[in-house]
Amino acid sequence: MRWRLDREWPALAALAVLYIFLAIAAPSFYHFENLRDLALANVPVLLVAAGMTFIIVIGQIDISVGSLFAVTSVAFGVMVKAGLPLVVASLAALLIGAVLGSINGGLISFVRAPSIVVTLATMIVWREALRWSTGGAWVEDLPANFQWFGFGQQAGQAVIVCLALLLFALFWWASENLSAFRAIYASGSDSEAARLAGIPVKRVLFSVFVLMGALTGVAAVLNAVRFSDVPANSGMNMELIAIAAVVVGGAPITGGRGSLLGTFIGVLLLGSIAPALTFLGVNPYWEKAIQGAIILATVLFDAIRSHRAKRLALA
Amino acid sequence: MNKNRKQEWILAAFIAVEIVLFSLTGRNFLSVTNFFECIRLGVEIGLLALALTPVIVTGGIDLSVGSMMGLCAVTFGSLWSDGHFSLTAAIALTLLVSLAGGALNAVLISRLKVSPLIVTLGTFSLFRGIAEGITAGARNYSGFPSSFLYLGQGYLGGIVPPQTILLVLAAVGFYILLQRTAVGRGLYAIGHSAEGARYGAVPVDSRLVLVYVLSGLAAGLAAIVYVAHLGQAKSDAGTGYELIAITAVVLGGTSIFGGSGTILGTLMGLAAIVVLQNGLRLSAWPTELAGISTGTLLILTIAIERWANQEGRSKTSPAMRWSAIGGAAALVALVVFLLHGKSAENGASTGAGRRVTVAVMPKAKGDPYFISCKVGAEEAAQALNVDLIWDGPTGLDAAKQNELVQGWITRHVDAISVSVENAPGISTVLRQARAQGIKVVTWDADSEIDARDYFINQATAQSIGFTLADEAARIMHNRGEFAIITGALSAANQNLWMGFIRQRVADKYPDMKIMAVRPSDDDRDKAFAEAQTLMKVYPNVKVLVAISAPAVPGAGEAVRQSGRKDVQVIGLSLPNLCKPYVHGGEIEAVALWNTKDLGYLSVAAGAALARGTLKDNATSFDAGRLGKLEIKGSDIILGAPLLFRKDNIDKFNF
Repeated sequence: MRWRLDREWPALAALAVLYIFLAIAAPSFYHFENLRDLALANVPVLLVAAGMTFIIVIGQIDISVGSLFAVTSVAFGVMVKAGLPLVVASLAALLIGAVLGSINGGLISFVRAPSIVVTLATMIVWREALRWSTGGAWVEDLPANFQWFGFGQQAGQAVIVCLALLLFALFWWASENLSAFRAIYASGSDSEAARLAGIPVKRVLFSVFVLMGALTGVAAVLNAVRFSDVPANSGMNMELIAIAAVVVGGAPITGGRGSLLGTFIGVLLLGSIAPALTFLGVNPYWEKAIQGAIILATVLFDAIRSHRAKRLALA
Repeated sequence: MNKNRKQEWILAAFIAVEIVLFSLTGRNFLSVTNFFECIRLGVEIGLLALALTPVIVTGGIDLSVGSMMGLCAVTFGSLWSDGHFSLTAAIALTLLVSLAGGALNAVLISRLKVSPLIVTLGTFSLFRGIAEGITAGARNYSGFPSSFLYLGQGYLGGIVPPQTILLVLAAVGFYILLQRTAVGRGLYAIGHSAEGARYGAVPVDSRLVLVYVLSGLAAGLAAIVYVAHLGQAKSDAGTGYELIAITAVVLGGTSIFGGSGTILGTLMGLAAIVVLQNGLRLSAWPTELAGISTGTLLILTIAIERWANQEGRSKTSPAMRWSAIGGAAALVALVVFLLHGKSAENGASTGAGRRVTVAVMPKAKGDPYFISCKVGAEEAAQALNVDLIWDGPTGLDAAKQNELVQGWITRHVDAISVSVENAPGISTVLRQARAQGIKVVTWDADSEIDARDYFINQATAQSIGFTLADEAARIMHNRGEFAIITGALSAANQNLWMGFIRQRVADKYPDMKIMAVRPSDDDRDKAFAEAQTLMKVYPNVKVLVAISAPAVPGAGEAVRQSGRKDVQVIGLSLPNLCKPYVHGGEIEAVALWNTKDLGYLSVAAGAALARGTLKDNATSFDAGRLGKLEIKGSDIILGAPLLFRKDNIDKFNF
């Protein structure tokens, strides 16, 4: 795996500043329990952002993931309640995510409809359809082995974090070493050249959206089992956090570049802001403004730098 | 242009179908009044959509317009209310702020070459965040003079909403700019190829600055209209408007890649969306259908356009085309089927009295609290021979509440029963309803007193706040630290309750201290994370007061997982959601009234008013299965809040 920092450094710098500041002003931030809870809380976003990285690398966008997350969460809960074994229900949730992703993928790759429009449409459709069919009611009275997959709290927490990190590491490794994943980078940086080089660009594009859906399904399952009920409105604004994490992590929205290392840093940075502000005793009313400012600042750093680099190259 | 024509035809056909369908199913849909009401509803979104058209024509996007509306609304409100500026000065300064915001986007996009999607994603958070920050989320400016409110609520010549003029002017202005000037041609050129446009002597940077500044300005204008329309200015103004506006533009045939699009198309896209929402309301069909059909239409128009363009050199196999058409047909069939099923449920009921239609509105349809009220409302409808319309915004949204009441007035229901999100925001339109002979009841939260016949008083904000403070004091033995987890920071009710909690603590419990207030956005998972952090940052906090229905079980789960036995959760929530935690010992007590009874009463009172069995100045009300209820002034008293604890919670099922 590549550890060389290239476009990731603004996010890393911001993260370092935040964490050093916390170490001085609120050292209790580093207690094991807090780091564990922070990790658990960010598992879903991490997996979704991993999928989003590939979407953005191939030069597309997916704003329907929040709705997909809600739909797969509820579907998972309903299946478990209906008596399906947990493993089967988890795989089925993954599959449902993949199928919903394939609808996006099919329209984008084969019909060649713009991804932002397609996923805007599916975002609205899935959210409203879910609202309509559940009427907002939670999935309650789930079997006792639902929470933590029946492993108990501590083991369950470890399983969830390890599974998520393992999956993330696997995709990180794959994105740098497997030709199937390099094809995503090739298609994203110049789809015509990639096509001429024999890469089935359309199929790659389609698969990326299927992968996005499947990862959203996994994220929904790993999030749902942390609790004993499934609410009907989860995943609100998840697409924005995931996209922001990828972009802050250094992937240009124009595609072709971006690393899972950067995404990891981005998720960590954005996920730490809310708890960090509580630890620092900052007024919550300014939280959104601070979040926006951090997104803009990291992107700006990068823009100014590449601007200078370009000028130097011309001189 | 050819391509746009095609999409415009599809859209025209769709609008025609909508109009035919709704004039058959909707009551008073095809009327001059309703035509103008549709326009009134479309102005704010319309202004945004018009300004977004040139932005998208250049291949850009602006996600920040909705947040900009929030920022401008509170800027305007605070300038006028706190700053004592004249209305004209306040409007001028607000528009300046919107120009500055637009300029910020413009500079980052044109000079620093950051992608518009990213820049406006950042300012989307930034603008809304500043709006929340300067008002501490809670400030709600109202009491604007009637001459100003006339702009949003009045009628020119008794029929035309004044803001229509603004929309028409903006449409003409943007039409001329985009389609009749060299500047506009330049924008299309930029959309095709910015580099090419530069070689063609188009000043690309300054053109981009122009479109983003105009977009900011339009959002500022939309904010002013919004404030005049609702009579209130709050930091949540325009939430989610950017997506509807973008949908309208894209539906109208503007390519998201840039290079093509027309103002006429955008206006048609806007009309398709507004007519759909209005028609569904007048037909008393579920409003979720609006989103579902808009999304489907969006995909269909684009897919059809793509296929049409591929004609001749088509590489798509017929099989795929047919499968897609089949899929679309299946989706439409599914919607019709579901609709049929749902509307069948609403039929058939028996009972005494004239059959009346009562429209009941919760504050937010998806909130578990209101879902449980709905059960009681349906029971009452069944028992009392009432046609029930149950509809409300999906999240807390004063503007949406206004729209719904407006629709019900046009539909001329017999009685309207509203849980009010924002009193100044909705009172004007409720008065309008009463003027037209519709009976008005408020429940759960009141409007201004002359805007309704009766208020169903289940428990005042004061008694809720005091009950929670007293309960916390009892657990903490009158001393120590506690923290609050609220819903959204801008939620009016929660802010009111917190005010009374603070007041009670200041008056009666000098040794108790509120350490922090954290938002949960009515999201269980977020409440969970906030509760975890609170327990770590303030280890001496003994009580978490959660005042949003999903937040209480979220906080309860956090306490359970932490293993802390010394922390208790109390709050406002439903017994069913909290039972496991109450029995587990994490939640000490949940305060609430009987939501089923409340829902029942919301319908019963409306029906009795419509039938004339409940008159003005009554002193008691015979409310069916609830028996005789006392009326104090114009408040129907449901009773004090219940406290659910370990020993009694299993007796309640809602």
